[in-house]
Amino acid sequence: MTKSTKALRSAIALAGVSAFALTACTGPSGGGGGGSTASENASSVIAYGTTDKVTALDPAGSYDNGSFMVMNQIYSFLLNSKPGGADPVPDLAESSSFTKPSEFTVKLKSDLKWANGHVLDSKDVKFSFDRQTAINDPNGPASLLSNIDSIATPDASTVVFTLKNANDQTFPQILTSPAAPIVDDEVFPADKLLSDEEIVKANAFHGQYIIDSYNKNTLVSLKAWPDYKGVLGKPANAGATIKYYTDQTNMKLEVKGGQIDVAGRILSATDIDDLKKDSNVTVHLGPGGEMRYIVFNYDTMPYGAKAPEADPKKALAVRQAVADLIDRQAISDQVYKGTYLPMWSNVPSGFVGANESFKQAYGDGSGKPSLDKAKKVMSDAGISGPVTIKLQYNPDHYGKSSGDEYAMVKDQLEKSGLFTVDLQSTEWVTYNSASKKDSYPVFQLGWFPDFSDADNYLTPFFVGGGFMNNHYSNPEVESLIAKQLVTADKAEREKTIQEVQNLLAKDISTLPLLQGAQVAVSGTKVKGVDSTLDASFKFRLGTVSK
Amino acid sequence: MATLIDAPPPTVAAPISKSAGGGLGRYILIRFLLIFPTIFILVTLVFFLMRITGDPITAAQGGRLPQEQIDALVHQAGYDRNLFIQYIEYLGHIATGNFGRTISDGRPVVEMLVKFGAATLELSINAVIVALLVGIPLGMFAAHKRDKVPDAVLRMFAILCYATPVFFAGLLLKLTFSVGLGWFPVAGRASTTTELAMGRLAAPTGVYWLDALRSGNLAAFGDIVHHAVLPAVALGLLTAGVFLRLVRTNVIGTLGRDYVEAGRSRGVSEYRLVTKHAYKPALIPIITVMGLQIALLLGGAVLTETTFEWKGLGYQLAQYLTARDFVAVQGIVMLLAVIVAITNFVVDIAAALIDPRVRY
Repeated sequence: MTKSTKALRSAIALAGVSAFALTACTGPSGGGGGGSTASENASSVIAYGTTDKVTALDPAGSYDNGSFMVMNQIYSFLLNSKPGGADPVPDLAESSSFTKPSEFTVKLKSDLKWANGHVLDSKDVKFSFDRQTAINDPNGPASLLSNIDSIATPDASTVVFTLKNANDQTFPQILTSPAAPIVDDEVFPADKLLSDEEIVKANAFHGQYIIDSYNKNTLVSLKAWPDYKGVLGKPANAGATIKYYTDQTNMKLEVKGGQIDVAGRILSATDIDDLKKDSNVTVHLGPGGEMRYIVFNYDTMPYGAKAPEADPKKALAVRQAVADLIDRQAISDQVYKGTYLPMWSNVPSGFVGANESFKQAYGDGSGKPSLDKAKKVMSDAGISGPVTIKLQYNPDHYGKSSGDEYAMVKDQLEKSGLFTVDLQSTEWVTYNSASKKDSYPVFQLGWFPDFSDADNYLTPFFVGGGFMNNHYSNPEVESLIAKQLVTADKAEREKTIQEVQNLLAKDISTLPLLQGAQVAVSGTKVKGVDSTLDASFKFRLGTVSK
Repeated sequence: MATLIDAPPPTVAAPISKSAGGGLGRYILIRFLLIFPTIFILVTLVFFLMRITGDPITAAQGGRLPQEQIDALVHQAGYDRNLFIQYIEYLGHIATGNFGRTISDGRPVVEMLVKFGAATLELSINAVIVALLVGIPLGMFAAHKRDKVPDAVLRMFAILCYATPVFFAGLLLKLTFSVGLGWFPVAGRASTTTELAMGRLAAPTGVYWLDALRSGNLAAFGDIVHHAVLPAVALGLLTAGVFLRLVRTNVIGTLGRDYVEAGRSRGVSEYRLVTKHAYKPALIPIITVMGLQIALLLGGAVLTETTFEWKGLGYQLAQYLTARDFVAVQGIVMLLAVIVAITNFVVDIAAALIDPRVRY
């Protein structure tokens, strides 16, 4: 071996050793939530992962799942729901009721304090709602409070809401919604948003947890707060970390590897299907409020009011035939691997008054498609040849599987020989406005509720033309929706909601397809995940332990 | 995508004429002044292109609120105003150093740039270290084994390095060394414990390994390095391939020069020829090329950060683009433009100092 060769080899070896040293300085195993340097309670600290993002911790500045998830841990509401259900029960409130048709009175618990020591009283409550309305931030949920006319605070523990529309049965649910976390009036400004960092610094919390360390959309550390007096009680763990991911595959790999205890929102159907087969993790499914549906534009759909061959009966027949032919179960199984379930009405199952009006009315009556029925409907209406449907879906707003979902819808319709489907997709920014400007005769939409009440699936859709602007109008439907909104008797209200659904199933303004399940994946030793996957759609870290 | 760089061997510098000094001053001035239009054009393009893609309110609230309500919110936010007026306002704001707050999450843009810029800087430094550790020794070895099997293998390796898309390399590394072998973490800059420890430091620089060293937390330092390896390798290999080829070519070129031949004929050992005569001159172009690689590294960082959940500017840029957050995207792009423009300026000056012919 020559000297030069030795020198070169030495240089390469040195570089190799350096590179190895770089990789070898590994210290602790890394990646775990509970390393040796963690706090003494590390074993009971829960590591939660999500692909959601926090917009703002200020309730006036955000209206999204990621922000609301954190708010549910650190703020209280006048009313909230216990894990396992969605019914509003007193949280900061001691009691609440309609004291007059237009007055909803809430009595607060005594001796409430914020984590920073400030007194929590009726002033904070009035302040919280007033500032929501005053700020009316584009990203905020102020629109949910539109029925509040004024708020009075006769004493430190009493709050009286005067409502514009009397007997609003959704109001208690509104008080559990993203518009309703109570904030500290000595910390938050009345007319503008407070930054996350300032909220954390001011320790302006009253929840099961306080924020111990905050690195926005990277890592949030929560510590159990012993003085919490709300309905959720003492958490089952000493604290929690929330880790934020962009790539759902990274989250999946980390829950599989035990670096996080629970992976919440959002994993793809394929990932969940894969995780179901992994013995190291448990997949939890809970009721979900997300809805996926097809909208018919009454003006521009085949035979619609402004179509060249306008004919309301034929238009109805087209909608009915589509309803007869769609195989929801196949879409649920093949595209969504059971993470979305067939939906048979405009109100998802699990909500007060939900029925399965479409199941009985269309297909074979048991949920399967019926070609014979579809053929008969079409021929009875005098439609002979295949009808061309221009069907639009969106590829970027409702998840990557929309393409597969609508390819399957197209296939199901075309296999019948009754339809030719011109399937098209458009990016969300254009899609959203174009769908409301009559550009799409038949199109995809989705919905996630603002609060857990059946009305949230009715009023926004079918009253006053609805937000979809699909030119559907049925005075009887509108009247029944208005009636259920103010019917205090639960059974009576339930019956009215069912009547609405039956009428909607006859008209088929929209065709409900699928109802999303809530999904979480946890390590096998993690407990309590199922009890928080309820119809309130609030993930409460306090129920989780290991 | 990197370009194949087989730079010519270093040439003997031309004699510097008297006018060269004045030329250098003029050259520096012109190069410096060019920074501003470069940034201005980029900022203008980003401003208008972002607005073509839609507004942040529709992106966030579309489908949830009625169109009339969305229109009202868009109007309230002023996004429906004359675009040119918005543009002039924007230029006025940045001229006074007011970069505003991000629309989608309300962060001060400057704070966001500092915080995430530090993460990107850390990744870039790590990548450069990998590029140097891999590229230089392997380039020298390839030169030494010129036209033999190891040389051919290393040349192929170099081609693979700069031809492989960085996200693909990242994914491959992750699948092999994280998922398959379990040697390295799947994602992130540090474990949860370390992240929390870094967040609790009094005055962190944002460069984790530096903060860990400053605070004397060696366990955290090890954890950070452990997390840094795969992203740094994924990004560093991109440049390592360029360095490998460059060093190889330059060493071969230098070894064939007259003065090296003369040394060889005088009986100077091959070891001394390589280390004293070929090694140093071969490394000088690396400095120039490294500067040129900065833009490439930043581009690669966007993809690497997303693959490895490395929360730097690239990662954030992807998030803010999706949210159509004009303010944030403009801030990030402007910072990247400034970095690239200044780096190119420094590289131009360095090149001019090394080779005076550049000034003309």
